Amino acid sequence: MRTVLYDEHAKLNAKFTEFNGWDMPLYYRSIIEEHMAVRRHVGIFDVSHMGDITVKGKDASAFLDHMFPTKVSNLKSGECVYTAFLNEDGLMIDDTIVYRMGEDSYFFVPNAGTTEKIYRWVTDHSKGYDVRIENVSNKISSIALQGPESEDVLKELGFTYPGYFKFQYDNGKYMNPITGKDQIIISGTGYTGEKGVEFIIPNEFAVELWKKLLEAISRRNGLPAGLGARDTLRMEKGMLLSGHDFNEDRDPYEASVSFIVNNDGDFIGKKKLDERRKSDHEIFRGFILSDGIPRNGNLIKADGKRIGTVTSGTISPVLNKGIALGYIDKAYSKENTEVMIEIRSVDHRAVVSRPKIVK
Amino acid sequence: MTEVPEGLNYTKTHEWYKKDGKTATIGITDYAQSQMTDIVYVDLPKVGDKKKAGDVLLTIESVKSAEDVYSPITGTVTAVNDEVVKHPESINKDPYGSWLVKMTIESEGEHLSASEYRKLIQ
Repeated sequence: MRTVLYDEHAKLNAKFTEFNGWDMPLYYRSIIEEHMAVRRHVGIFDVSHMGDITVKGKDASAFLDHMFPTKVSNLKSGECVYTAFLNEDGLMIDDTIVYRMGEDSYFFVPNAGTTEKIYRWVTDHSKGYDVRIENVSNKISSIALQGPESEDVLKELGFTYPGYFKFQYDNGKYMNPITGKDQIIISGTGYTGEKGVEFIIPNEFAVELWKKLLEAISRRNGLPAGLGARDTLRMEKGMLLSGHDFNEDRDPYEASVSFIVNNDGDFIGKKKLDERRKSDHEIFRGFILSDGIPRNGNLIKADGKRIGTVTSGTISPVLNKGIALGYIDKAYSKENTEVMIEIRSVDHRAVVSRPKIVK
Repeated sequence: MTEVPEGLNYTKTHEWYKKDGKTATIGITDYAQSQMTDIVYVDLPKVGDKKKAGDVLLTIESVKSAEDVYSPITGTVTAVNDEVVKHPESINKDPYGSWLVKMTIESEGEHLSASEYRKLIQ
């Protein structure tokens, strides 16, 4: 599948990669340059491969409070929250951001590879609730504007920054299938750890907005950035990648996102999650290596035994050192604990860090 | 878009080599570097190492992955390019200028001409 912006990427000589069935830009010229542009200035990303599912109706709040470990009905209109879908065993199926548009009106953004599965999951669980669930993913494009100068770019283009985990609407020319009105949604969210927004817009508006943003960021040493930089940026900040850092095998406590569990109601997976919490023995941490570049699947060792596994690894463009994310035995999870990471049969020294490796 | 210069020999595993009498100068192709993304580390063999065609010759690491580079020929390593160790990104910028290893040629493995290699990566 191609996003509406495919031809724009091709014009920029993007190197494409297949990601969950989508032909997405992996990079344009260099992952490291794009990464640093976002950390120092600003960058834009086509994230139209992400899903968009609306939940509307009288029981929308009650239904979503049942679907998530997070009490999403605590959101006010115009606020959004990071959370995850759990299965009956309390394990994370997918992480997502849930947006509250009104009293009985929400939407959420699942990952590209899990949108169909999640759509079925919520639909299958909606029996008995007065809700209408619609998967509008194919009608929606998304562009992320990220970096310390993102707010300046927004202002130049006549937009305002909505605030962290808040969102607002701007008048648009095309009907937005999420809101049903001629609107663009500007959300104070992202996947880079930098200040920024995500534009959630009707497909018809995507090329025009991309071109405007590209022109504005180019005046500031900003760059369009691909999935390569998106991955290295999120790794430095310890953000989970669905399907890699968890895949229905970890609960929110293990994944170091215990803050999403704040729902005293009866949500899916609650019972097992309470039991697991007491027995969990591994936890998600970051690792900084002295040398070597860790990769998914590398073993983490200490005291001559295996204590964990790397789930994501790269070289950090900011630190210029190998960094990893992964799960280790809680006994070794304290910051600065020395461990070894085995990369292609050679042990490399590493220290444990919080998942947010780059402050 | 991807460069495949004439006059070089290519392998199915995306190495190039240039013959100069009994010496081969070896590197990776433009296609290979573009697939790998930003190259950040090169682990070269030692001068004197003997390799058979198809053996792992060296390893290149990028932001995204670690990839083995295979020996296109059977022979002995006579020189390694320390410049690419200091500046791994030079392989991205100039894959045919950034040679990795020189070897004496005992025998060549299976190899492709420029036009055959172009077809392979299309």
